[in-house]
Amino acid sequence: MNQTPPIRRPAVELDSEGVRRAYRRWAPFYDELFGSVTRPARRKAVRHINASQGRVLEVGVGTGIALPMYAPHLEVVGIDLSSDMLEQARRRVAKQKLGNVTALLEMDAQALAFADASFDTVVAMHVVTVAPEPELVMAELERVCRPGGEVILVNHFSAETGPRAAIEQAMAPFADRLGWRPEFPLETVLGRPGLDLIDRKALPPAGLFTMLRFCRRDETVNDVVAPGTR
Amino acid sequence: MTTRTSIDPKLLEILVCPLTKTVLQYDAERQELISRAARLAYPIRDGIPIMLPEEARPLDEDELKRKP
Repeated sequence: MNQTPPIRRPAVELDSEGVRRAYRRWAPFYDELFGSVTRPARRKAVRHINASQGRVLEVGVGTGIALPMYAPHLEVVGIDLSSDMLEQARRRVAKQKLGNVTALLEMDAQALAFADASFDTVVAMHVVTVAPEPELVMAELERVCRPGGEVILVNHFSAETGPRAAIEQAMAPFADRLGWRPEFPLETVLGRPGLDLIDRKALPPAGLFTMLRFCRRDETVNDVVAPGTR
Repeated sequence: MTTRTSIDPKLLEILVCPLTKTVLQYDAERQELISRAARLAYPIRDGIPIMLPEEARPLDEDELKRKP
């Protein structure tokens, strides 16, 4: 497997237009190819969110695979960079009469068009690994989440061992085309000043995906840092 | 969600310009969201606001004056 290393585009070439083009091509087949692999992890994440209240932002809502999973008491807003994926989501919402999905918008996760602290929960599944600048995404997720709210990531992160290796190899052809970075380390998403990591869970299938839960820190409390408390 | 011609007022409350993070004006007739600060009009197509600067229409001086 090692004699022909996969061709990986450098991060700088992973531009937004490239990502959009990739998803345009894959939108009609996304559910069949990726839905079954990613659905169990999405379900786990949404089940957790369903125990909360208020307004949820799903960043990278895609074809809306997760939309029917949200409890009716939540108000869900979905965004995606790909209009083709969003069109699938729009059809799903109409067909399944998902009244709690109040808006779908085309947006770049690196430059969100929402005011600060607009959402009680912000969830991004399989997003940071395809973004050209994941640090920008993290900053935006933090910004639009209200203090005390949760930012939740579901992703495949690299540098972990176990039976996942076989699955990763099997998925590699798809992952490459969708712009996933197989070498995406967890550290990339840590270290935001306003986000405290509160939970880390391995998700099915076989722990291929990881759910990270962050609590949005209340900055008004944190403005004054007492000496020696770092 | 059907293809609506009007935007949810609650959504409008939290929407800002992705470039300047300032408030937007809703032009119901043209189905656009106006950012005076960025001098851009973001289109709404099939009920989906397209909040991408590269998809937005630049506003000229006259148009900015005409808008309240």
